Amino acid sequence: MKNFFKSSKGKEFMMKLINNLVVFLFISSFFLVTHTYGGEKRLLFHAGLGQRMALNEIKAVFEKRNPDIKVNFSYKGSGYFIADITRSKQGDLFMPGEEFYLMQAGERGFLTDYDPKTDIPAYFVTVIITPKGNPKNIKRIEDFARPGIKVGLGNPRSCAIGIWHQKTFRKAGIWDKVKENATLSAKCIPELGNATQHRAIDATIVWATTAVLYLRDVEIIPIEHKYRGIIRLPVGVLKFARYREESQKLMDFILSEEGRAIFHKHAYAINPVIPVDKQAFCLDGTTDKDMEYLVNAAKAVKDESFPVTKETIGDLAGQVLRQKKTKRAGD
Amino acid sequence: MALRSRGGWWPALCIGITASILAVYILLVTSNWIYLGWHDTLYFFSKSRMWERFWLTVWTATVSTSFSLFIGIPAGYALSRFRFPCRYLFASIIDLPIVVSPAVVGAFLFGITTRFPFDWISEYYGIYIGRNVYGVLLVQFTVTAAFCARLMKASFDMIPVRFEAVSHSLGASPLRTFFKVVLPMAKNGIIASMIVVWARAAAEWEGLMLFVGATEGKTDIMPFAIYLDWNGGMMGWVTSMSIVCILMAVSAISAMKLIGGRSNVW
Repeated sequence: MKNFFKSSKGKEFMMKLINNLVVFLFISSFFLVTHTYGGEKRLLFHAGLGQRMALNEIKAVFEKRNPDIKVNFSYKGSGYFIADITRSKQGDLFMPGEEFYLMQAGERGFLTDYDPKTDIPAYFVTVIITPKGNPKNIKRIEDFARPGIKVGLGNPRSCAIGIWHQKTFRKAGIWDKVKENATLSAKCIPELGNATQHRAIDATIVWATTAVLYLRDVEIIPIEHKYRGIIRLPVGVLKFARYREESQKLMDFILSEEGRAIFHKHAYAINPVIPVDKQAFCLDGTTDKDMEYLVNAAKAVKDESFPVTKETIGDLAGQVLRQKKTKRAGD
Repeated sequence: MALRSRGGWWPALCIGITASILAVYILLVTSNWIYLGWHDTLYFFSKSRMWERFWLTVWTATVSTSFSLFIGIPAGYALSRFRFPCRYLFASIIDLPIVVSPAVVGAFLFGITTRFPFDWISEYYGIYIGRNVYGVLLVQFTVTAAFCARLMKASFDMIPVRFEAVSHSLGASPLRTFFKVVLPMAKNGIIASMIVVWARAAAEWEGLMLFVGATEGKTDIMPFAIYLDWNGGMMGWVTSMSIVCILMAVSAISAMKLIGGRSNVW
């Protein structure tokens, strides 16, 4: 009996020793890590979750050219940023998913200098998406008002798409009927995409940049000009920037031709001027070509024989090839 | 101790309910796995991104759990055994982080790390807590430390005080008693609590969402990465990472059960 206790105590002691050792190893590795990080300039970039893929690509190119600068993203839903920035007073750049949120930061005096004319690298364009095969045969905005259509709407308090749903359907004069058809009130735009992918709703309106993530599982229907919304995507340098110069450098890169081209690969519209009316609805066919590319990209992912060329799908080849690789999307 | 399950409708009903809930869980996992498909499973499981996140989750949860244990074992023992002023107040405050949503913890951590004296400390040492892996550890530790103390208190409560009294009467000091009598007896409870705390730390993301934010490859532990990819419309990643999480949980629990055997925590 005594021996048994002794051996178990011995085990206990060994366990404690191993535990301590592991903890010390971890602590020492922290210090190693902090020391290696010391020399670099690390930018903190507050960015909307929706811009993740495009911005990761920009980061890769930018870091290769400027080896001494590292970009750290803090991805969140756009609505979270104001609280974050107000409390932490940290961050170098800011790129929310809507100009509205940047204006909020501007009102509080967090931005250095933001010029609404030039600091827009890209635009979102609204499109209709439906589950694969378009079972309810949705073709136009007016179809959303048909009885029995399950419509997904965004909550205007928490995401910009909600405001656009309201605006678009009000303009078409069918807002009340669409509200009756609504079966989902989404907090963020990917929720709408996911719901469409899983056939929980029959139709919804999202940005083209969201639609392009679901090429295999949804049908994309361009909206006619008078209901097609053009949403400005701004970028600004924050007042608290620790590395003002480097932040400006990154911002200039994002606004350059090259930076914009990366956004175009992810279905953002990058035309420098898109004529819009007061409510930011599209006036002419500037974005028609992009819409055509998007529809063709969806065809190309579903149909192996569809030609994948610059003429058919524009710059969306990366997205198409990525989604062709696996049945369920990933990168 | 096991009762005979033959005869009577009541045991049959209970077992039937257990079987049906088990069937629901198995259905959940298998249907999602079928949705992913075998080809995609192999594809995503062979990606390094998956395993980088896996190890990030494992080591952050392990470190924060060991810190929690260093705090939790003495704290749980104190709450279980000693009488001191405001004991009940302490006991109820320690329950708070279990009841309050981790989102609140995240929001409050925000408030504290940017203020005196923490801003001075971080300025002086050049360590920025928050938005890096320290932030992850801090959130996990804050959420689990109290939880750990609570579970430890439960483990120590199950051990009769008599053993300690006997040890004292034979001339052992309180410290010696704790290490030679109480800890060995509470071993199973401690190991079981450790798994629960570890799982809690590995599953934490609400606090991270508010306090840390996601830097890919640095702070996105599994549950956070699942949320990110859900937002990116990458259903393949979401499903395959969820499956890895489930496998991780199942293997951790069965390993610890093998080591620790049964205990009073579950």
